[in-house]
Amino acid sequence: VVSGDDLNTPQNIDKMVIAAYSALGNDHYTSPYSSMWPYGSVRGGDTYKGGDGPGDLSEFHLFETFSLNRPDNALIDQVWFRLYVGVGRANDALRRVDAMSATDYPNKVQRQGELRFLRGHFYFLLKILFKYVPFIDQNTPKADYPTISNRALSNDALWTKIADDFRAAATALPVDQADKGRVNRNAAKAYLAKVLLYQAYTQSENNAISGIDASKLNEVNTLCDEIIASGKFNLSTDFANNFLAAFDNSAESVFAIQYSKDDGTPKGRLDYGHALNYPMNQEYGCCGFNVPSHDLINAFKTGTNGLPLFSTYNNNDVAASLDFQSSSFDPRLDHTVARPGAPFKYKSTFLFQRSWSRAPAIYDAFASMKEAVLPDDPSFQKVPPFIGSSKNWEIIRYSDVLLWKAEALIELGRPLEAVTLINQVRNRANLSRNLLKTAAGSPTSNYNVQTYQPGVNCDWTPDFARQALRFERRLEFAAEGYHFFDLVRWGIASQTMNAYFTLEKSRVSHLSDARFTLGRDEYFPIPLNQINFSGGVYKQNNGW
Amino acid sequence: QTRLISGVVTDNESVPLEAVTVAIVGTQKTVTTDAKGSFKIEASTGQLLRFIYIGAEPLTIPITTESANLKVKLDIAINNLNEVVVTGYQKERKKDITGAVNVVDVSKIRDIPSGNAVKSLQGRVPGVLITTDGSPTGQATVRIRGIGTLGNNDPLYVIDGVPTKNGLEQLNQNDIESIQVLKDASSATIYGSRAANGVIIITTKKAKKGYSKIDFNASTSIQNYATKLKTLNAEERGRAYWQAAVNDKANPNNNQIYQYDWNNNFNNPVLNRVIFPEYIDAAKTMKAADTYWFDEIAQNSIIQSYDAALSNGGEKGNSLFSVGYYDNKGIVKGSRSQKYTARFNSDYNYLDNKLKIGENFSASYIKNAQIPASDILFASLVQQPVVPVYTVNGGWGGPAAGMTDRQNPVRLIEDNKQNTYNFYRFFGNAYADYQIIPGLNFRTNFGVDYNGSYQRLLKKSYVSGFLADPANQVSNSQTYQGNIIWQNTLNYKLTRDKHNLEILAGQEYIKNISQEFSASRQGLAIENIDYAYLNAGTTNTLNGGSGAGNRLLSYFGKVNYSYNDRYIASVTLRRDGSSRFGKENRYGTFPAFSLGWRMSEEKFIKDMGLFSDLKLRYGWGRSGNQEIPNNATRSLYSAIYGTDPTWDFDKGTAYDITGAGTGQLPSGFALIQQGNDNLRWESLKESNFGLDFGLWNNKLTGSVDYFIKKTSDILISPAYLAVLGDGGNNYSNGASLQNKGLDAILTYEDKIGEDFNFSLTGNFSLYRNKVTYLPKDVLASYPGNGTDKNVLGRPINSYFGYVADGLFTSQAEVDAYANQPGKGLGRIKYKDINNDGVINDLDRDFIGDNSPKFTYGLNVSLSYKNFDMSFFLQAINVDVVNDFKTYTDFSSLWTGTNWGSRTLDAWSPSNPGSTIPALTLVDRNNEGRFSTYFIENGSYLKLRNLQIGYNLKKALNMKIQNFRVFVQGSNLFTIKSKSFTGTDPEIPNYGFPVPVVGTIGVNITL
Repeated sequence: VVSGDDLNTPQNIDKMVIAAYSALGNDHYTSPYSSMWPYGSVRGGDTYKGGDGPGDLSEFHLFETFSLNRPDNALIDQVWFRLYVGVGRANDALRRVDAMSATDYPNKVQRQGELRFLRGHFYFLLKILFKYVPFIDQNTPKADYPTISNRALSNDALWTKIADDFRAAATALPVDQADKGRVNRNAAKAYLAKVLLYQAYTQSENNAISGIDASKLNEVNTLCDEIIASGKFNLSTDFANNFLAAFDNSAESVFAIQYSKDDGTPKGRLDYGHALNYPMNQEYGCCGFNVPSHDLINAFKTGTNGLPLFSTYNNNDVAASLDFQSSSFDPRLDHTVARPGAPFKYKSTFLFQRSWSRAPAIYDAFASMKEAVLPDDPSFQKVPPFIGSSKNWEIIRYSDVLLWKAEALIELGRPLEAVTLINQVRNRANLSRNLLKTAAGSPTSNYNVQTYQPGVNCDWTPDFARQALRFERRLEFAAEGYHFFDLVRWGIASQTMNAYFTLEKSRVSHLSDARFTLGRDEYFPIPLNQINFSGGVYKQNNGW
Repeated sequence: QTRLISGVVTDNESVPLEAVTVAIVGTQKTVTTDAKGSFKIEASTGQLLRFIYIGAEPLTIPITTESANLKVKLDIAINNLNEVVVTGYQKERKKDITGAVNVVDVSKIRDIPSGNAVKSLQGRVPGVLITTDGSPTGQATVRIRGIGTLGNNDPLYVIDGVPTKNGLEQLNQNDIESIQVLKDASSATIYGSRAANGVIIITTKKAKKGYSKIDFNASTSIQNYATKLKTLNAEERGRAYWQAAVNDKANPNNNQIYQYDWNNNFNNPVLNRVIFPEYIDAAKTMKAADTYWFDEIAQNSIIQSYDAALSNGGEKGNSLFSVGYYDNKGIVKGSRSQKYTARFNSDYNYLDNKLKIGENFSASYIKNAQIPASDILFASLVQQPVVPVYTVNGGWGGPAAGMTDRQNPVRLIEDNKQNTYNFYRFFGNAYADYQIIPGLNFRTNFGVDYNGSYQRLLKKSYVSGFLADPANQVSNSQTYQGNIIWQNTLNYKLTRDKHNLEILAGQEYIKNISQEFSASRQGLAIENIDYAYLNAGTTNTLNGGSGAGNRLLSYFGKVNYSYNDRYIASVTLRRDGSSRFGKENRYGTFPAFSLGWRMSEEKFIKDMGLFSDLKLRYGWGRSGNQEIPNNATRSLYSAIYGTDPTWDFDKGTAYDITGAGTGQLPSGFALIQQGNDNLRWESLKESNFGLDFGLWNNKLTGSVDYFIKKTSDILISPAYLAVLGDGGNNYSNGASLQNKGLDAILTYEDKIGEDFNFSLTGNFSLYRNKVTYLPKDVLASYPGNGTDKNVLGRPINSYFGYVADGLFTSQAEVDAYANQPGKGLGRIKYKDINNDGVINDLDRDFIGDNSPKFTYGLNVSLSYKNFDMSFFLQAINVDVVNDFKTYTDFSSLWTGTNWGSRTLDAWSPSNPGSTIPALTLVDRNNEGRFSTYFIENGSYLKLRNLQIGYNLKKALNMKIQNFRVFVQGSNLFTIKSKSFTGTDPEIPNYGFPVPVVGTIGVNITL
């Protein structure tokens, strides 16, 4: 143990920057935040919570059903706290960096950029979970922390503060970093684009979309152009590469959390946010969480024209029939969803079994695969009873940048310019079949993906373009923890989720009491504990 | 005229008494007796000689013309008012004590093979709540007069004058001569900053002058696990699952183990047969079984206890040597604790008996099996009965598809039984006591208390059902910690006429250190404990270590005064400095006083002829508490490379910044706490009102104490506003608590005829705890909703949750009820506390607390000729949280586990009287939420002990000092509340079960 002043040397400040980075991956299966799966996928209808039943991590069950959620849900409080630990580490280091002269500390500007990026990341996660959070920067004296309300800044001003962090980072950071784990200028621009895209959909107090800020969308478009033009990024040839440890920090990775093992820590600095999301077989053994929903599985269906079935995909429940040959599918299905009889994680001799599922009577027998690694993968690390890996987890990848640009263009009334962007993503999906084969060498499912060809296989109206973009995002990032936040950004969370519940509760029993309350459930409640600790300085969110 | 009077003073057994004060009444002339009990004093005929000796009734003898060589016998009787009580750096007669002090009758617990003297005291001392379990290690939790603070509530132990916070399970129970409990602040304040939780004073046995003997005690016990939880067998588990599924109108055959032959009619479901697969796993290694896991892990086990003590009291000195061996194999297979103890106590007299030099020294070695008992017990509850212990190939059975991811408990035993925890402790003191002038003694005492532990654990690789870990590991850890203690005291006694004055002044210095380190490696070629040293590991080399220390420097003084044995006063002052506190508040001052009035000495009481003793007492004192980390005052950063994330967040500061994915990582520092330079002692103020009485020549004796104990500036490190991030925790002096209560003890002793003696001792205590102050910003850390419902004015360990208001038993009731998401037939109805028509977090309320409402105990001892018999009943009235109901009552909270047999009696339209929620596989109603459903009446009355002894020495007229054989039973029966649904309210949850024990033993004195 050391006192704070001993740390104000260039060497030690560099270490404080590392401590801030380390907060990126210091999450835990009880309240993940590297992966946002409980909040973004389970709440977004991509996946069921899974596990032993609703009683197993019951807090997540309350997320999943919305109607049961409460401000005293302890895991809402926990994720809030953990994210502020990240903010705090960034602020602590930033305060020290700011106080050094550039002569004593030549890395000063660059490190300021890195720390503001990290702080912006933690605030972004807080923002999409809670909407109104207290904003504290390195200049806020600690004694003042308790006086800063979560309503000190308006919804828009809070977005601006977060955008400011990434804007500053984009200016301060170099284009290239020797260390792959350090954030760079393009990563900052990308995150800035993401923030501005969220900010562009202006929200009223009751979480309804009150307008779209074209200037923000234009900036998103410009930023994405700059990233694309930098030539630093490419879509991986195979979609799978984004979910294989061997391809960590590939050309598609814009910003990823770096994990490691055999690194001198007790169990490794592992991807522990996903520690529960493996099947219940001898190779893994825990714990069957994040189970793809029927709705998601059906969403991968394509029509004879190779395009998604925006409104009719649920008509035939292939997740119930397990018939993946009569209909056609987007190959991303078999990158995302493990199902009985199909190879698990591209290994044709390692077939997912119904017996690998934990509670099929409740959650049916599927598993999410993007986060998983094979038991013989060098990145695999058992932490009995849980499962970890040192595989990186992507926060921003290049396909996201392409689709942000497409979204901005569509909302700017330039839908035609979005087609090629979406098609780049679809085209790559179509080409990502090499690993999706049975032991006999035949395709795991019947695949058929086509690009959008306006006037040929679709009528590319603005409305159609919007549906296409939104559907593409769901398929591309399925079960990765982003979908719900997209729905809220677009202002369609209530209608989407209630429609989902209406149908899905006929398929699984645990959703029978699920109901989304418009104007409330777009955000978590501010944790009751925090309101109490603040002595009422914090105000509760709308509807809670 | 004066002449030289000489004489010898002895006790009633003619043993010479040293240091008896012999005074001539009305003069200032006193002498003391020497080691042979002899004295010489100039006196004249007609004067009165008064003999004063601690522990004896004072005696006055007139000098007559015949007086020459006097033979004086002082009556030293056990259990009377002259009993000597060690009260902190000095001794007092019981009748002079004005604080709340209980003297424990050690003889009553001597033969109980609990391995811990404190554990045997459970329920015997009013105001002292001892909670324990059945673990062979014998640990016990001691709470004196309630929860007085929010941190460490353990009392201070003072063993032969040396203070320690370690428990007594590390001592040989039969080395203990006496135990005194200082319960109130007026008596405990002499220990100042460490006294707020009460003080337990232990004196170990010494040889008695003129006695030479060998004591030998041996006993063997058999223990039985009598409180096994009733879980479902395979057939019942299958039926319960079927019922839950059909209640949900879900296909019961949609699971991977049980198949059902049933009528497929959800409206009138009839189960014909549960069909088990031959194998429960796809690989066909596990045959469907019907395992009752509690039988698999339980054993009838043996306790052996032997000890021998050789004592020799001589002219110039006394010595005692004892050895003990205690071996407790627990009722859970693989559990075991072995203790080896040795003690050498001696003292020698020099310089014409003016200087006494002595020492007490003990060494203990304890070896405990390191099986994960709580995991084993929990796994026995939740592992499904259809799982076999072993596979057909002799491997481990384990969970199969759809089952809980908990281990085969038998594997946990077998794979850990090679691991032991080794603990050693050296404890003792050396002292010199010099009589400067008669009545004035200087004593210096140097104590050491060092302990250490060593363990080397081999974690084996395994495959057990779908659980498997191919990695083995050896991990070593070693700890080392201890104190040195140096005390210097001056004690001055003065007796003038009817005035008795005793003055104590002293100084004490304590230095504490602790260090630990650990290391581990994986990749052992052979999984054998004899091979599993660190060097045998080839991968994942890890190590760690830490250390800390603190100091205490104290000055103290005490004045006791009594007038005519009638009016007693005592004043104490102690000043302590602790390195743990902020520089602003390093020293604390702790005053106390007490007053006593022995009314039985007053004529108007004497005239009543009823009271042989009657004493009113009042005491007030202030004591402290310093139980916080050594560096709590400072803001600190720690280099935390990485922590084990298995069950908690990784708090590490290392990051793979290069993206290499492996290898040494750069790492930083994290704030771990905020400093507080103003940190000061926690302060306890306590008033005690007491009454001691003896009636009918002390056939009936007793005492009643009423106390008001107020703790303020309680050291807390509460949860904090999250925006503070890492290390926002901060120790501060925050809360205030109050405990009010009553302790009473009553003894009736008598004999019928010459041969039949009996004694009954009952005790009763109750206290009420409440929080009187909490800073506003920490209220949210304590039970309550943080706003209008908070813990202020309530017991600190209050339960806050929902009120389960029975079950919904008709659809009309469901429909009419408030908006409770998930409500339905057979589901728990939660009370709408705020009557707003919605059941949400605003409907939580205070629903009980964990402090006992009252406790009592009754000890009965009888003896008739060579027989003796005693039994002890202990009772407590308390509410407990029965977390096991999660598993015993619900099929929905953990669908993959086994459940309790109570699920067979769950509510259904055909079983409308049941209070157990209807079976379902899907907990839509969030019934695991904390509610009154889980709070049960945990009151019990236990027959703790029943012993029958027979004295062979007298029966056979043997030529030895004592030869007694006995049989004994412990925990022979329990009376519990009908509403308690578990097996043993003493262990409502995850604790080690308390066994029924039967013992035979022998006490021999040669």
